[in-house]
Amino acid sequence: MLGLISLNGLAQAPKGSVLIQNATVITITNGNMEDADVLVEDGIIKKIGQDLRAPNGVEVIDATGKYLMPGIIDAHSHQGLDVVNEASAPITSEVQMKDVVNPTSIGLYRALAGGVTVSHAMHGSANVIGGQNATIKHRWGTINPEDIIMEDAPRTIKFALGENPTRVHGRGNGIQPRTRMGVEAIIRNGFNEALQYKKAWEDYNSNPNGSTNPPRYNERLQTLVDILDGKIIIHCHSYRADEIYMLINVCKEFGVDKLVFQHTNEGFKVAPEIAKYTMGASVFADWWAYKFEVYYSTAYNAAILSRNGAITSINSDSGELIRHLYHEAAKTQRYGDLTDEEALALITINPARQLGIDDKIGSIEEGKHGDLVIFNEHPLSVYAIPQMTFVDGIKYFDINEDADDQRISVSPTEMVEPIYLTEENHRCMQGTIRYYGENLFKHSH
Amino acid sequence: MKKTLLRLYVSVLSLSMVFSAFQVSAQSDPTGKRRITDSYAIKDALVITGPGKEAQLSTILMKNGVITAIGSNVNIPAGTRIIEGDSLYIYPGFIAGASDAGITKPEDPERPDGFLSSDPPDEIAGITPWRSAADQYSSSGKGISDLRKSGFTIIQVQPDGGMLSGKAAIMLLGDENTSNLIQENTALVASFRGSRGMYPSTAAGVMSKFRDVYKNAEQTKNVNDQFGNNLGTRRPEFTETSQGMQDVISGEVPVLFSASSELQILRALKLQRELGFKLVLTGLENYEKVIPQIQESGAGVLIKLQAPDDKASKKELDEDASEAAKEQLTRVQEAYQAALAQAAKLEAAGIPFAFSLVDAKPNKAKEAINKMMEAGLSESGALAALTTNPAEMLGISRVTGTLEQGKMANMVIATAPIFEEESQIKHVVVDGYVFDYETKKKKASGEAPAEGIEIAGVWDYENAGPAGSNEGTITITKVDEGYEGTITYDNPSGSGKASAPISDIELSGSTLSFTFSVSAQGTSIDIEVVGEISDNSMEGTMDLGDFGSYPLTATLTPNFISSK
Repeated sequence: MLGLISLNGLAQAPKGSVLIQNATVITITNGNMEDADVLVEDGIIKKIGQDLRAPNGVEVIDATGKYLMPGIIDAHSHQGLDVVNEASAPITSEVQMKDVVNPTSIGLYRALAGGVTVSHAMHGSANVIGGQNATIKHRWGTINPEDIIMEDAPRTIKFALGENPTRVHGRGNGIQPRTRMGVEAIIRNGFNEALQYKKAWEDYNSNPNGSTNPPRYNERLQTLVDILDGKIIIHCHSYRADEIYMLINVCKEFGVDKLVFQHTNEGFKVAPEIAKYTMGASVFADWWAYKFEVYYSTAYNAAILSRNGAITSINSDSGELIRHLYHEAAKTQRYGDLTDEEALALITINPARQLGIDDKIGSIEEGKHGDLVIFNEHPLSVYAIPQMTFVDGIKYFDINEDADDQRISVSPTEMVEPIYLTEENHRCMQGTIRYYGENLFKHSH
Repeated sequence: MKKTLLRLYVSVLSLSMVFSAFQVSAQSDPTGKRRITDSYAIKDALVITGPGKEAQLSTILMKNGVITAIGSNVNIPAGTRIIEGDSLYIYPGFIAGASDAGITKPEDPERPDGFLSSDPPDEIAGITPWRSAADQYSSSGKGISDLRKSGFTIIQVQPDGGMLSGKAAIMLLGDENTSNLIQENTALVASFRGSRGMYPSTAAGVMSKFRDVYKNAEQTKNVNDQFGNNLGTRRPEFTETSQGMQDVISGEVPVLFSASSELQILRALKLQRELGFKLVLTGLENYEKVIPQIQESGAGVLIKLQAPDDKASKKELDEDASEAAKEQLTRVQEAYQAALAQAAKLEAAGIPFAFSLVDAKPNKAKEAINKMMEAGLSESGALAALTTNPAEMLGISRVTGTLEQGKMANMVIATAPIFEEESQIKHVVVDGYVFDYETKKKKASGEAPAEGIEIAGVWDYENAGPAGSNEGTITITKVDEGYEGTITYDNPSGSGKASAPISDIELSGSTLSFTFSVSAQGTSIDIEVVGEISDNSMEGTMDLGDFGSYPLTATLTPNFISSK
């Protein structure tokens, strides 16, 4: 598998061809098809139908009795990143997660084993306006970050409201924001400064004689300008209904409509507003009460948001949950009676819409990417186990070829490599990283 | 009797006064340290003038720091000090592409009133491109003598600091009393190291800040270019940072980027592609899979002169270890071998590389090179990495890197071909100054133990140490195949005695050698003891690596009971 990936930094992502036959095909957008075939050629779904024939040299996989669904998409993850939080300033919009993608991170392989083919590798939530995120395709086997970054995905950026930025900067450093009011002020000031920056450049560029000086280059402000210009989708860490509604208002005021809420545990209280003004909410199935601001929530959150017409996804924010997002989606049938189609949309087409890539992935449709998972049972069954996972028509996970040690890079000096464990609410909640390993007390992390 | 002694004393005193007065007036050297001559000849040695060259029986003549003649038929003028070179091997002096020897970290500036960790002044945030390593360097500083002892004659030193610590400088490892600067401002030293508790604090922040600093320095340059020509242009706002970046922007000076892993290398290459600066990658440890990208970028390469720690790959598993554990060990062993073979792969790819000695132990340099050679690096490739390649990269190949008439008198003189196990460095010549080294007796090397020599028992030992004298006991027990033992020593981080297990215990002929490690203040020092035994007593040395080598004496109370 390693050989498939080019080492050349500028090379195209590898693409494969495969014919999967006789499966129950869950298209997500066009119902289920019994006993159907899906043909992927050069990474793109070419045909869906009965009795398709494989072109010469294309591998055929018999999926009789099995279920084929689009690759699962996780709209909130931190797998495959060497750095998560540049927690040193309330606005760090210039920081890019694409700079610190680590394609050898084993969490990506585990995600593939859970049927997840694309994840949204996000900056942490220490800052009101954090760094820009990376949408990554789980093309396991390369060491080159550029092989897994989904370059045709739109830019997205992390925002964070409430306790995290007020703790890190307000209580931690004695600067704004100390309160939720301060959080709002940081965003407003940032946007206003960006408008001034934009104007300064417009003035400079409109002077053809070049006799005035250019404004000092500032990628931080330029990124905020790009948000205001609709070039970047905001993904905002949030819990409480009041702060969610605050950001809706601020964005309305500045003409920003590319906005997705993350966590959104009180989203059910403002579901109509989220539906009307934003690109929806990405939530946990049933996870809350890990700190004060998220004391109040409900497992019906996803169902309430969905039925109110908000684009809703269920995310992991965790190296553990990412391995069974299909179970997480199934919980909405117990809590909210969502249909199969609605429940599966939470982990496929809906997160694709929130990431701006629903024209490429998120459903099984001709012309979309060949990102597919074969399940032994219906994916919403509690007995469901992913059997094979494909990205762009290339198989990166096969349960029958799953070795004990799937690492890409092995340290020449350590039998047990240091593991950075984060607490379960961790990066998005605490910003602290605990270090475990052989040299526990020798390192100074 | 007393009278006579007194008279003798007085006459000696007056004589010495006369002598020193003569020195003052005649040579202006009240210290008496000036050498008698700066002309040396090394006679009839086997000279290897450069990588890939055969050893030739030659005499090397040097004067005033320059090689004045080299060949089999050299006339030695009167007044030349002669060093007998019989059976010695001479190589060009080694050059390290990057080092932090001799560098003292400058004091941190005080935080100004109203300091904001989210927007700290450059100087506090590790952004100090205007600083020069030459200002932080001392010829008598830490690590210099150890480097020289290992054959290094020239190093490019990098300043201490954060993500942009300052400019490197090329230094001779010559006489302490001379100026050893060859060139200042040779590279801008960069790393992905964030600042603790302030912006930028992570590699992600550092990359963004690097772009910001670079682009604004470019902008300052553009404004400055216009300022002279276009009336109405506001003056450029020079800052120490933008000024410190100018030579990088203009392409005169490369960025010397520390990147030890494949991912860090790719990140440095990404910044290079975006911004277009000249790049030298340094401190490379794991780079096997990115050799094609390095080649494509044309970046210079300085690999860390250190073999990976082999503790993990040498681990022995219990017999009942699981298959998974065995496979895991196999992968570690393969990774270890692959790591050693990387240098050979660079050579095969035709990428000229040299070495970085930052965080590497000079006394383990030879061992590291030998391991790289066992894994495929050619001898001439190894020598080139120590001589001609760094000379080329540093732009000093016209004056050094090979042994030729007219080049600097920098050389390594060894008792055997330099990469051979038993080879020891006897002299190092830097800038025409000759440094002499004790050649140790051959270390235990598999020779059969001499008749009647016993080492098992309790040795009481004494030695001088970096912090005064030290004493303790060495207990050696005979076990089935060889020996095991412990050593006690004055506790370096407290009072009383500490003890450590000793390993690699070997007796060959009458030479005993063993090693042990001492932990102090968070670092671990590997110590090697070698001694010559006769009649239950031992004389030898205790080698503390960077901290020097000290004489040791010991006596044995034998213990004839062997434990099973």
